[in-house]
Amino acid sequence: MIYRITHVNTYRYSEPVTSCQNLAHLSPRETPRQTSLQSQILVQPSPAVMSSRQDYFGNPVSYFAVQEPHRSLTVTATSQVQLRPEPTPEPALTPPWDDLACLRPRPGSPEDVEASPFRFDSQYVERHADLASYARPSFLPGRPILDAVLDFTRRIHAEFRYDKTATTTATPVLEVLRHRHGVCQDFAHLQIGGLRSLGISARYVSGYLLTTPPPGLPRLLGADASHAWVSFYCPGFGWIDIDPTNNAIPGDRHITFAWGRDYDDVCPLKGVILGGGKQVVDVGVSVVPVDAAEKDDA
Amino acid sequence: MAGNDNLSATSDGPRELAYRPVVGPHDEMLAESGALRPQWRGLCGALADLGMAELNRRWEEARQLIREHGVTYNLHGDPRGLDRPWQLDPVPLMISAAEASAIAAGLVQRARLFEKVLADIHGRQDVLSRGLLPAELVFGNPSFLPPCHGVALPGNRHLHFYAADLGRAPDGSIWVLGDRTQAPSGAGYALENRIVMSRMLPEVFRDCQVDRLALFFRAFRETMRTAAPYNRDNPRIVLLTPGPSNETYFEHAYLARYLGYTLVEGADLTVRDNRVYQKLLGGLQPVDVILRRLDDHDCDPLELRGSSLVGVPGLVQAVHAGNVAIANPLGSGWMESPALVPYLAGLCKHLLGEDLKIRSVASWWCGEADGRDHVLSNLERMVIKHAFSPARFEPIFAGELSAADRTALAASICARPNEYVGQEQLNLSTAPVLVDEQLQPRHLVMRVFLTASGDSFAVMPGGLTRVTASAQTLVVSMQQGGGSKDTWVLASGPVSTFSLLQPAVQTVELTRGGGDLPSRAADNLFWLGRYVERAEGTVRLLRGILVRLTEKSGLADVPELPHLMRALSQQTQLFAGAGSSAAFSASEAELAAFLYDVRRSGSLAATLAELDRVAGMVRDRISMDMWRILSSLYLNETPTHAEANGPLDFPSLTLSDALELLNRTVQTLAAFGGLAADSMTRGYAWCFLDMGRRLERSAHLLSLLRSTVVQANDAEGPLVEALLEIADSWMTYRRRYLHHRSLAPLLDLLLADENNPRSLAFQLIAIGEQLDRLPHDPTLARRTPEQRVVLAGLTALRLADINDWIATDATGYRPRLAEALTRLADDLPVLSDAITLRFLSHLQPSRHLAEPGGSR
Repeated sequence: MIYRITHVNTYRYSEPVTSCQNLAHLSPRETPRQTSLQSQILVQPSPAVMSSRQDYFGNPVSYFAVQEPHRSLTVTATSQVQLRPEPTPEPALTPPWDDLACLRPRPGSPEDVEASPFRFDSQYVERHADLASYARPSFLPGRPILDAVLDFTRRIHAEFRYDKTATTTATPVLEVLRHRHGVCQDFAHLQIGGLRSLGISARYVSGYLLTTPPPGLPRLLGADASHAWVSFYCPGFGWIDIDPTNNAIPGDRHITFAWGRDYDDVCPLKGVILGGGKQVVDVGVSVVPVDAAEKDDA
Repeated sequence: MAGNDNLSATSDGPRELAYRPVVGPHDEMLAESGALRPQWRGLCGALADLGMAELNRRWEEARQLIREHGVTYNLHGDPRGLDRPWQLDPVPLMISAAEASAIAAGLVQRARLFEKVLADIHGRQDVLSRGLLPAELVFGNPSFLPPCHGVALPGNRHLHFYAADLGRAPDGSIWVLGDRTQAPSGAGYALENRIVMSRMLPEVFRDCQVDRLALFFRAFRETMRTAAPYNRDNPRIVLLTPGPSNETYFEHAYLARYLGYTLVEGADLTVRDNRVYQKLLGGLQPVDVILRRLDDHDCDPLELRGSSLVGVPGLVQAVHAGNVAIANPLGSGWMESPALVPYLAGLCKHLLGEDLKIRSVASWWCGEADGRDHVLSNLERMVIKHAFSPARFEPIFAGELSAADRTALAASICARPNEYVGQEQLNLSTAPVLVDEQLQPRHLVMRVFLTASGDSFAVMPGGLTRVTASAQTLVVSMQQGGGSKDTWVLASGPVSTFSLLQPAVQTVELTRGGGDLPSRAADNLFWLGRYVERAEGTVRLLRGILVRLTEKSGLADVPELPHLMRALSQQTQLFAGAGSSAAFSASEAELAAFLYDVRRSGSLAATLAELDRVAGMVRDRISMDMWRILSSLYLNETPTHAEANGPLDFPSLTLSDALELLNRTVQTLAAFGGLAADSMTRGYAWCFLDMGRRLERSAHLLSLLRSTVVQANDAEGPLVEALLEIADSWMTYRRRYLHHRSLAPLLDLLLADENNPRSLAFQLIAIGEQLDRLPHDPTLARRTPEQRVVLAGLTALRLADINDWIATDATGYRPRLAEALTRLADDLPVLSDAITLRFLSHLQPSRHLAEPGGSR
């Protein structure tokens, strides 16, 4: 499966902005199940500086600066990604969650050490007794970890209402838990918080969904913007993705761009401007399959 | 008075000291036997020779010196945001050469260890994969900053400057209480303490053979210079401060001046093309090294998530690009985390293959079950600190809490154990402190400073010793009324007399440059000029009024008074309704409030407080003498100013007291103006200070005339005299017109006479000349907007027919004069805005890009 992802951010200012500096997680990362075929970021007005590096979590991150006065800024990120979905492990075959949850990373295992950044508190997700007790009914003693996480995911999907107007990026996880509504970012943070409160490493995945579903399948929630889901660490099996917003295991319709401890690590686009007065933001996202012929043309 | 001397020596027996340490802790000066410890002998002998009376006299002088130098420490929680004078005790702490070298060896090892740990954590992270450090202390620790990972630092230098707080246990052993690795404060105060002490006790200082501090600062400067990625011969180095509201701002300004660096705030810097630049009036100048006093989080609002915007957006990017060195490097604050302490011994063994030479006070991280259990079951003996950031809350001395508070603390620890560290409470040593002319014991903590030097570290021979506010508490805090001491390390060999204050003889490239000015400093100097002049205008007007009130008996004798009162009330928005002298003299309380209440906007006190604030922001731009003059303004002397929280209690004043005060203030402000005119280089700093003064003087003059002479009245003669006196033009007037007092000559002298330094025309000409000096595009043929405003005003004055202006209508109103004055007055804000737009517009604040709302 090959997809073309286009993400356009447009900012309009009531007063001129004399300069801006930005940081973008708008390029797809390579993972075992996806390859980035092509990726570019276009900025208008054209930036004086544009450079890329890898962030701490291995995601490509771009820095750019516009140093001339401007009244609007358009950032257009386009990429083509090939997905190679892998079979999901059989839940019953995964190890019991309480066997491994509280384990320290095994010193000899590089994978375990790599999982450790995702076990603790982060900017938007702090472990909490309330989060643990919300998750607990799914985590019965001895239950295989994937089985338990799938049940936890199903419960979040069933008990929380998707509501774009209810929260902002700054809404704390505990408030989301209390009011039982939010968007994909909130559900991801909530699930990460529940998992970490039980001792399980979990990370935040930022990416995109196919905009128009294949015939016969429902349109997924969160397809009109960048999407967020969760990945948790299962010793022996590695990282397993899970999408609480859609109660699904991401397969051939989730395109991964970046992961981190939470939204703060992988925010798609942030910036600091000088001047500008009032700001208006527009975001447009489209994800479409590229058939073989079109790809050959390109 | 010898009988009262605490430090008198008897002729034959051992020296008697009226000093009794408390039982328990180690005393720095006296052994348990009561004998003087050897390193104190020289000092005590010398002090005894001086005698207590002389010591007190000199201490008084030293405190005066501290006030004059303006050494302060900002107190938080002070509603009026006032600075507290720096507290220095006249008895230094004495350290023997042998002990100093043992401490130095231990701390150098510690600094080397820290640099290795920082390099590892920001690189391969071997200490994590080897299990030498729990992963949570990195990844669950907000002080660990992922954007700072993987940077190739210039010279691979991860730590330039380090400070350790040391305490001494009852058995005499030295322990580390805390570490400062991101932006250690106190070295400047240590230096100032030394300067004051060596001036106060020159002969004692010399005879005691004390190690000098200057070599340390020379090594530090050398480290800063060689840290530069480019321009190592002559790098541009800046000291980045959060600003005057920071508690140690005095020190930032002081060190910047001493080390010869430019003091900047975040808004003075900008990142362009992956490089850091300083914004100067003449353009952008690349910066090579930043000595920062900002915490990691505040340094770059783009990448380091500081909610405040005091930092420099893009700084992390410039660091990644390798174009700037920051001391200490971004991310080094992580090393301060108290939770790391229990693991240092293991890290030292692994990374250096050595045992720790100076150990930390025993500490337990509650994130580990054993640690938490130990802390909880020994809580009353513990000092509780935040595990990750010592600045998050002040250390809690659990033993000093009530039982209920201690239970609550235990509950907090159980709820979020990973955020707490328990540290064994050390019964800190004591040293004598002069209190009410007596020596009394106080507990102390010594802060010692290290600078990277070559491939190792150099230790300051001395340091900043801080003492508790009483012998009953172990909490050492300048915030809570503690004091400080100079720290004298006895030299083991001949003392070097090198001093940075007197640069070594070397051939210097002669230059007339150095005149460029940070835009923000220009802005502050402009406002300093305005406030100085505003204060002077207000004082002169008020003095004119009070003189008339005290000299004359009734209102009939002073028909001009209501007009002057109107002018005052229009200028200050105070004294409304005080249209008659009766109402005014009845409110001496009102007068006192006007002179002393800094919270009342429009009051003289408020203007002086603003003046003081702005002057504080440009301390590094004005001379010590100018600063001294401003420090002597009356508001800085009153007890109400020093009193932090109490109700405002103004001195009760008679009219003649007030008059005396105003006379002194006029003289002080005039001295400031005179010194500025006489001693400031005619560079950009002078331009902005002068333009501010001229602009404000113009505004004051026009406001004064508009509220007094636009309407004809029967007090014109006395009013003319009063106005001349307020505008300081009486002498000239009298020479020209003798005793004839009327409006036209007054207006000519105050508005149009280009030779009168108090006239409006004179101000406009001066502003025009300053504008010509400032950087401008020489290829532009037409005048800039601000030059046009000046020219328009000046032309109006030159073409003015004053006798025509003062014609009255049937009601005695002077429409043409009113119109002319209004037009001239309206031009002033336009001029001020034009200057701001042209020279200071890039001072606008940074903001975050908006979040895409609702489309997540």
